[in-house]
Amino acid sequence: MVRMNRCVLAQLVLAVALLGWYQPAVAQSGTSETSAAHLLKRATYGPRPDDIARVMEIGATAWLDSQMDPAHIDDAAFETRLSDYDAATMTPTQLLAEYPPPRVLQEQLGENDSLTPQRLRQLMREQGVSPPGRILGELASVRLQRAVYSERQLEAVMTDFWFNHFNVFWGKGPTRWLVADYENTAIRAHVFGKFEDMLQATASHPAMLVYLDNWRSAGSESQAARFAGRRGGTLGLNENYARELLELHTLGVEGGYTQEDVVEVARAFTGWTLDDGREWGRTMRRELNQRRSGVPERVDFKFRPQMHDIGPKTVLGRSLPSGRGVEDGLQVLHMLALHPSTARHLATKLVQAFVSDSAPTALIDEIAGIYLETEGDLGAVTRALFTAEQFYDRDSVDAKVKSPFELIASALRMSGADVGPSRRLFGALRELDHVPYLEPAPTGYPDTNPEWVSSGAMLQRLNLGLALAAGQFDNVNLNLLAESSMTIDPVVTVLDALLPAADTEQLESVVRADLEMNANTTRERNMRTIGLVLGSPEFQYH
Amino acid sequence: MRTIARRMFLKSSGLALLTLGIPPEFLTRALLADTAAVTRKKTLICIFQRGAVDGLNMVVPFAEKAYYRVRRSIAIDPPRAGAEESALDLDGFFGLHPSLEPVLPFWRRGELAVVHACGSPHPTRSHFEAQDFMETAAPGVKTTRDGWLNRLLAENRCAECDGRTLAGGSAHAADHAVGQAGLAGDLLRGVTIAPELPLALRGTYPTLAIPDLQRFGVAGGRDRSLETTFSELYRSSSGDVVSGAADQSFDAIELLRQADPTRYSPREGVEYPRTPFGRSLQQIAQLVKSDVGLEVAFADLGGWDTHLAQGGSRGQLANRLRELAAGLAALYSDLDDRMEDAVVITMSEFGRTVAENGSGGTDHGHGNCMLVLGGAVSGGSVLGTWPGLEAGQLHEQRDLAITTDFRDVFGEVVVRHLGATNTDRVFPGYTIDSRRFRGVLV
Repeated sequence: MVRMNRCVLAQLVLAVALLGWYQPAVAQSGTSETSAAHLLKRATYGPRPDDIARVMEIGATAWLDSQMDPAHIDDAAFETRLSDYDAATMTPTQLLAEYPPPRVLQEQLGENDSLTPQRLRQLMREQGVSPPGRILGELASVRLQRAVYSERQLEAVMTDFWFNHFNVFWGKGPTRWLVADYENTAIRAHVFGKFEDMLQATASHPAMLVYLDNWRSAGSESQAARFAGRRGGTLGLNENYARELLELHTLGVEGGYTQEDVVEVARAFTGWTLDDGREWGRTMRRELNQRRSGVPERVDFKFRPQMHDIGPKTVLGRSLPSGRGVEDGLQVLHMLALHPSTARHLATKLVQAFVSDSAPTALIDEIAGIYLETEGDLGAVTRALFTAEQFYDRDSVDAKVKSPFELIASALRMSGADVGPSRRLFGALRELDHVPYLEPAPTGYPDTNPEWVSSGAMLQRLNLGLALAAGQFDNVNLNLLAESSMTIDPVVTVLDALLPAADTEQLESVVRADLEMNANTTRERNMRTIGLVLGSPEFQYH
Repeated sequence: MRTIARRMFLKSSGLALLTLGIPPEFLTRALLADTAAVTRKKTLICIFQRGAVDGLNMVVPFAEKAYYRVRRSIAIDPPRAGAEESALDLDGFFGLHPSLEPVLPFWRRGELAVVHACGSPHPTRSHFEAQDFMETAAPGVKTTRDGWLNRLLAENRCAECDGRTLAGGSAHAADHAVGQAGLAGDLLRGVTIAPELPLALRGTYPTLAIPDLQRFGVAGGRDRSLETTFSELYRSSSGDVVSGAADQSFDAIELLRQADPTRYSPREGVEYPRTPFGRSLQQIAQLVKSDVGLEVAFADLGGWDTHLAQGGSRGQLANRLRELAAGLAALYSDLDDRMEDAVVITMSEFGRTVAENGSGGTDHGHGNCMLVLGGAVSGGSVLGTWPGLEAGQLHEQRDLAITTDFRDVFGEVVVRHLGATNTDRVFPGYTIDSRRFRGVLV
């Protein structure tokens, strides 16, 4: 039998469920509870009771439209919470000043070589600055805060998806000072805009230039390469970015390009590099000597003609004339953004991530078609994805395993938790191997089920839920635990909140039997109920 | 096929009895009875020195003049009788860092080998890329998502019982004869004692990260009733990926409870370092001693990225090496005669620059060295070809060149020690050829 969220039309829906009917998507108003819950499970970090009621009332399309206009959604409550996290709102320049690299302190203060860790900590205290390692904790916490509290849920969900698509790794070079800006300006700003704009923003962002080494890629005959050669260094073509651009960001591995295309694309992007406020030759020399670079005061994108390969190029059969500069790269991005292989590759990833691992071909075709018709309008694509008939197909409901981040975010959001800066929460992300910004590979974190579940990981998930329920996390208060909110029947309260519109008959009976045998006090009953539901098979899916 | 058989066995008898609170003694017997005598396993213990250890100060080429020319403040002095802070002579050319003194006895007994000028052919100097490449054993291929140890376990198992490599084939056949094969076999073949699985162990084959043996279980093993309820929840849900994984973890918990590895204290006089690394090795030893089917264990030791103030015979690097050596020596003495069946190898993503930098440290380099220990190791020599440290002999004019691909060391160990026959998928795109083996195990 189906346990209902006791709200609108409960009896009618119950009757429908009893008859075993399947309620298909209703794109207009009058969306069923099942469909509304399904949409919210995938397009947000977990539906709260009010959310489901709202989608049922205004319909999926109207809800999506409002979510796709984030600027008009008041998000003051979330923004207030950001004040707990210094790094969240700083520019790269501010971050470099407030979380300076150790070498910078050493140079600035004229300290000699033997800087012990103790001395370093002391210097940092004296200067009122923090170690750069802290940025990660702050940014990861902000990612979680946004997932739990932002009213701009779809924007947050799509930002995570696209960030992962254009993954950069916090630990590479100066990325740590750049990654927040990258997320804000290159990704979030474009999630409902044109794909080409996002592509261009990522291609020219210092975080990507550093992460995939394009900043030091130069034409083999360029002025800069000859300069390096005279000094016994090597500076030449680096294909790293070009390869991932084709394989991961746009066409896909089977998108119909060759190794020659990779080289030609790499040549087109020579000279797309950095300006860090220092005299360039000096920066380059340091890099060539593999010294850790000194004191960048900022890190901006800069096109440097002296590194660019000005020869003619052929990319995917199209000629790029010689003698040009930054236009080469821009033209390549334009070609790639509108390429049918790109449409297919992106559609496949979106369908896999948001609909089901098996990614039905018909839906991929549909989404790819809309992508091409609208010249890569991600707003139109997102709308089509979440209103497609197959999105609401019975087989895709509750068919995706939540990633560890989604698991934690949904547990907190759906239980109405109060979350502040929490070391333990960060530790949980680390243990489950899903710390935002910490995936080193350019593929990003996996989008499909089997990669997230191993026997060890499952045990960690169960223990995570139990620890949350037991209130063992610093600065995390699951309000479900409050006695007052559990007066009616703790099991019903918890199931309603955490597994709305789901068939939980069996779960409920196992939980009740457990409480009967093992819980003596109200507190025990509450804790066990929450822990068991958070660790249940049902809650692992969305 | 076998998985199902075991699963049914556990579910229908063992766990049912557990729910009734009756200790399933026969289960213990079935899983563990006297199997140790017949089927003692070959074990591989990998130690990852994450952060790129300075191999030139770990195993010092003290006969190289260039070494002293370019390492003015951090070089280790050549061996001098009675001098504590000089290199420990190995063969008149190389010497161990003085902090590695605890492993010197193994060298003298011929149970420690060094492979020098070894590493990955890929030129990257990025930690994360190079670590991934070493852990996937697929240098240059960034899309490889599973680790070489995981593929090793997946590829080399008994077709009949789905567990164990074919190492010690006769013992394994004996297992089959008495119907014991695989019972304890597959759940704990690949383990790390750490909160997270290293990439080397990740993949489709079930491997396990155990943060702490003493607290392994639902709610840290403190509440059996929660475990019972969870296993009921997952048993009743259908055969999906999540339930499958959960079932496996309940089985592993049960197996460990029966075997109770924590009852094995270190041998008299053995002291592990009181650090996460030391604890990790101690618990690996407990798993080995309790014969739960461990074949591949993995431990991490970090802190090697010595860009500044690396130190010489004392200091930062010396302290890290002291912990490494103390751990290795403790593990070796603790496992005692079981080291006949175990091989320990150390690895690190790349080496460090031959010359010291302007901060009394070393920067990211290329070639490095690996240590191989074990009763079956053909030790007592520094293996591989030494490329030299003079100007024309360096990689990119600055780093130790590589003359041994790390996969040839891994390959030799898995073929000669673990008896792996199928290495093509373990080392994708690389052919393991015994002619390239360095003679780590003969």
